[in-house]
Amino acid sequence: MADDHISSWFRPSRRRVLTLMGASAAGLVAPGLLGRGSALAAPPSEPTGQVIVGFSQEPTVFNPHMPHIEVDEGIHFSVFDPLFIVDEKGEFQPALATEVPSAENGGISKDGLHWKIKLRDGVKWHDGEPFTAEDVKFTIELLVDPDFKSWRRDGHELVENIKVVSPTELTFDLKSPYAPYPSILAATFIVPKHAFADIDPNNAPFNNAPIGTGPFKWAERMAGDHITLDANKDYFGDGPYLERLIYKYIPDLTVLYTQFKTGDIDVVGLQWITPDKYEEAKDLPGKAVEVVPGATVESLSFNMGRPQFQDPKVRQALYYALDKQTIIDALYYGLPTPTETFMPQQSAYYNADLPKHEYDPEKAKSLLDEAGWTPGSDGIREKDGVKLAFTNSTTAGNHIREQAQQFIQQSFKDIGVDMSISNLPPAVMWGDYWMMSKFDSVVVGINFLTGSDPDVSNYLAPTSIPAKGGAGQNTWQYENDEVGKLLKEGGSTFAAEERKSVYVKLQEVVRNDLPFLPMFQYATVRGHKEGVEGVVPNINVRIDSWDVATWYWDK
Amino acid sequence: MLRFLFGRLWQSLILLVIVSVIGFAVLNLAPGGPLSQFALTPGMTQAQLARIAHQMGLDRPLPVQYWEWFTRLLQGDWGRSYRDNQPVLAVIGSHLWATLLLMGTSTLISVLIGTWVGVLGAIRRYSVFDYAATVGAMVALSIPTFWFGLIAIYLFSLRLGWLPAGNMYTIGDGSMLDYAVHLIMPSLVLALVNVAVWSRYMRTAVLDVMNQDFVRTARAKGLTRFAVLMRHILRNALVPMITLLGLQLPTILGGALVTETVFTWPGMGRLFLDSLGYSDYPVVMGLLMLSAILVLIGNLMADIAVAIIDPRIRLG
Amino acid sequence: MTDMAFKVDPAPVQRWWQRRAVKRFLRHRLALFGLAIIVVLVLCCVFGPYLLPFDDLYIDLRARFSPPFSGPHIFGTDPLGRDLAARLFMAGRISLLVGFAAMLISTVFGSLIGIVAGYYGGKIGAVLMRFVDAMLSFPSIFLLLALAAFIKPSPMMITLIIAATSWMEITRIVEAEIKSLRDRDFIMAARTLGLSNSQIMFRELLPNAVGPIIVAATLTVARAILLEAYVSFLGYGIQPPLPSWGNMLNGAQQYLASAPWLAIVPGVAITLAVTGFNFVGDGLRDALDARSDIS
Repeated sequence: MADDHISSWFRPSRRRVLTLMGASAAGLVAPGLLGRGSALAAPPSEPTGQVIVGFSQEPTVFNPHMPHIEVDEGIHFSVFDPLFIVDEKGEFQPALATEVPSAENGGISKDGLHWKIKLRDGVKWHDGEPFTAEDVKFTIELLVDPDFKSWRRDGHELVENIKVVSPTELTFDLKSPYAPYPSILAATFIVPKHAFADIDPNNAPFNNAPIGTGPFKWAERMAGDHITLDANKDYFGDGPYLERLIYKYIPDLTVLYTQFKTGDIDVVGLQWITPDKYEEAKDLPGKAVEVVPGATVESLSFNMGRPQFQDPKVRQALYYALDKQTIIDALYYGLPTPTETFMPQQSAYYNADLPKHEYDPEKAKSLLDEAGWTPGSDGIREKDGVKLAFTNSTTAGNHIREQAQQFIQQSFKDIGVDMSISNLPPAVMWGDYWMMSKFDSVVVGINFLTGSDPDVSNYLAPTSIPAKGGAGQNTWQYENDEVGKLLKEGGSTFAAEERKSVYVKLQEVVRNDLPFLPMFQYATVRGHKEGVEGVVPNINVRIDSWDVATWYWDK
Repeated sequence: MLRFLFGRLWQSLILLVIVSVIGFAVLNLAPGGPLSQFALTPGMTQAQLARIAHQMGLDRPLPVQYWEWFTRLLQGDWGRSYRDNQPVLAVIGSHLWATLLLMGTSTLISVLIGTWVGVLGAIRRYSVFDYAATVGAMVALSIPTFWFGLIAIYLFSLRLGWLPAGNMYTIGDGSMLDYAVHLIMPSLVLALVNVAVWSRYMRTAVLDVMNQDFVRTARAKGLTRFAVLMRHILRNALVPMITLLGLQLPTILGGALVTETVFTWPGMGRLFLDSLGYSDYPVVMGLLMLSAILVLIGNLMADIAVAIIDPRIRLG
Repeated sequence: MTDMAFKVDPAPVQRWWQRRAVKRFLRHRLALFGLAIIVVLVLCCVFGPYLLPFDDLYIDLRARFSPPFSGPHIFGTDPLGRDLAARLFMAGRISLLVGFAAMLISTVFGSLIGIVAGYYGGKIGAVLMRFVDAMLSFPSIFLLLALAAFIKPSPMMITLIIAATSWMEITRIVEAEIKSLRDRDFIMAARTLGLSNSQIMFRELLPNAVGPIIVAATLTVARAILLEAYVSFLGYGIQPPLPSWGNMLNGAQQYLASAPWLAIVPGVAITLAVTGFNFVGDGLRDALDARSDIS
């Protein structure tokens, strides 16, 4: 979903803000996957039945503004509402707000600094208290409260002069125009002010028994096992059509699948069905199983600060030696789509004309020969005393990726490159080892985008290198001034077409430089029982249950 | 007796402090940490991670962190989980009964089976049964629990489809029968090792008792073999076994950890692994301390039990 | 007294049980069987890889998931098409080596602490033994995982960690043994003769505790192999592509339905090896412990 990540050097001009805010969010559109021809029965008039969703991770953080992982958002989407959401077509849709603020409807002033938000009337919190503009104000203020362990502050920090005009209307100003703010608000769930009265928000009872406005009410949590939510019959929007929603924690993907197969769970949630089970799963009777593209891109990433990777020819040669298609076909059962870029193919900014990768070990060898990397006595290439040997790391325990890694190791060995595998436990891997660029190379899946905005400054700007004091996550230590310039330009270009050409160019430069070898864009195998209707994948969010309000049983 | 008790208690407390220092150092000195899991979140920046780390107090020197943790512990505050912000004891408590159910059932099974295998082995010493039990026990001790679990799942769930492959109950069912069906495989797998240990000790204990004078006296009095066995031998042989039960606690707990993983059982073992994976130090520390306390209590109880009901004291 | 003391030599005692012990061990059928298992396993692991036409690291995706006995691969292949037999033997080298190395380290370290604690007794002994108790009050798998979760999991580190959680038993055994010997005549004599503390500890006392140490060491190998398997199975142990019996099982759970041999083959190897060492340990205990004659 939309997130904040624009580093501080980047402040878009007012005109850009207006353009972006005027248009609907240029979000990512998932292809029509739901083309099951049969006419669907209408949802029931009363909430009926229950759906059990299986997750392979345990949701534990129920205050949506505290540090959490993606699985927690499954609960957030069920219990809370933001002011507006990004739907599966990448468009903003009003939720707690009556309309999405824009320059056209007067919600945002011409200079982008003054905002007016109109709220739904008559919405009630799950405990019966009325929802008002005070709650919205409180939420934004909570996010920047220095004593609160706030998840994200970017964007909200710019908000000042929040005024509650009436219970259904509030206005605020931004210190400076900030284009991604609508996207940030679309991911900001509103929490009730009265639940935090006179208590330390970090330890509020609310955090473990959340009270929202959403389609489902908090009922019960059995830690380590499941969470039960009940229908909120007073929900303001469509739905809910289910009486009860249960999120079941099943820590093992094989068991998760088995339970789906046997019918113990109705919907396979986060981490989904492993690719090796797809062939079997798609023919299961009574189950709807589909392959859904994700926005995450798998890459073999280099630490450009290492002497082995300074030479662009080396990176190109390694790309030629990478047998991408075999990895996809054999290890991932052909499900993911090969890609050449960090931009998801569903994005409006995707560059489809990048040079296609070829697997050609001979060419790889000749490239290295040309560049002066010649095999030493041990068969490993070297140049000027630098051996073409490096370690490759990833999270220990990710079996398919570890298999891919070992396969790549063999491919590289064939061209005289020694890649040794050094996998680490997740807590170690993604700590300073990754953030401070202490690795040689890694295999990693990253969602470069944050929701609908094509800006990737956080990952690619030369000023975003944490190892050099930057605030972002450019852990490749990729420094290309042209990229920096393009990213700035992308932020200050207004017309959608022009903006697109900047990002198209950016993708070309990055494809040429290869700070990481793009492998494929994720595809996940999702499944639910036939009869559960309304389960719509949305590439703009991280979790399945974003539209759980409108799920229903057709039977 | 009291002096002995106080002495042991005092020693145990010192032990706990040592245990906590070791545990704390091991966890916190390692690279990485609880914020690593957020690194790959879209839009996450190093700056935000640094802020959260500061708010959580993770950037302070380790001794300071330890001291704070320790002084709070003395006041009964075990800290809060990094994951769900719940008090550590509540987190552990919510997983406790699943583990107790598994451990309890399994211990019951192993005590029942183990006792009889041991007794039969002792009274039919050097028989085929005794020999088979001896070899069987040693093989059982050599089988990795998790592997045995995997094989059991393969046979009874995947192949034969008799038993569920994991979980504690079926959602929406939760009847006694449902629990029982889910308990069968994990408790038997966990019991395997314990039956082996228990039967070996039982055999030795029974042999010890059988050689004592009062047994011969009882036999001489004309009591039947069975009566002697039930009234004299078994009763006396079980005393050292109470000690064993206390001493076996860490082993059973460790076994439960692995078994829970294989059978996705929502107990403390799973909690420990999950907490380790997410670097939830307060919970990991809590579990380490709690298991250490349990072990020490087990030892203490064993000591007391022996002191109180030593057969020689009663007989004399 | 002094003249007599010269003749109080612990060595004859040792030789006496040595000969008897060997005989008793050889009569112990289970122990011999265990020894045979170990020898066969070691031979397989040492020479097996040279006899097989496959490399343990060679990936052949066309041959992935071949079942056992169906083609050229006797034990079948893994998800990358690598020969399972070749991997099993190479893994055996690692696992057995880890087992032996962990045993050596923990035996040396454990005995050292045990001798010092037992010989000096008093405060030193108490402090050392309380530390041993502290280490023993962690369920070892908890401690092992807590350690393994945060280090770079190389075979060396795994060995050290296993050793770090295995030495306490040996310390207890040695301490008890030394304590019981420390006030015996021959030690008194050695002291009167002016032997230094370290001479007494290592020349006079240690040889007398060798029996129990050997038994404990054998059982430690079994334990270390099991622990390696546990840790690697849970994903914190030795990392692929380097095979170990434990990490071969790590990915196997996922393929339990479609490729059960991936779980069965390494599991059998672990069980065999551990059983072997346990049998031998049991035999040694019977052979070395004179008291075993009684019951």
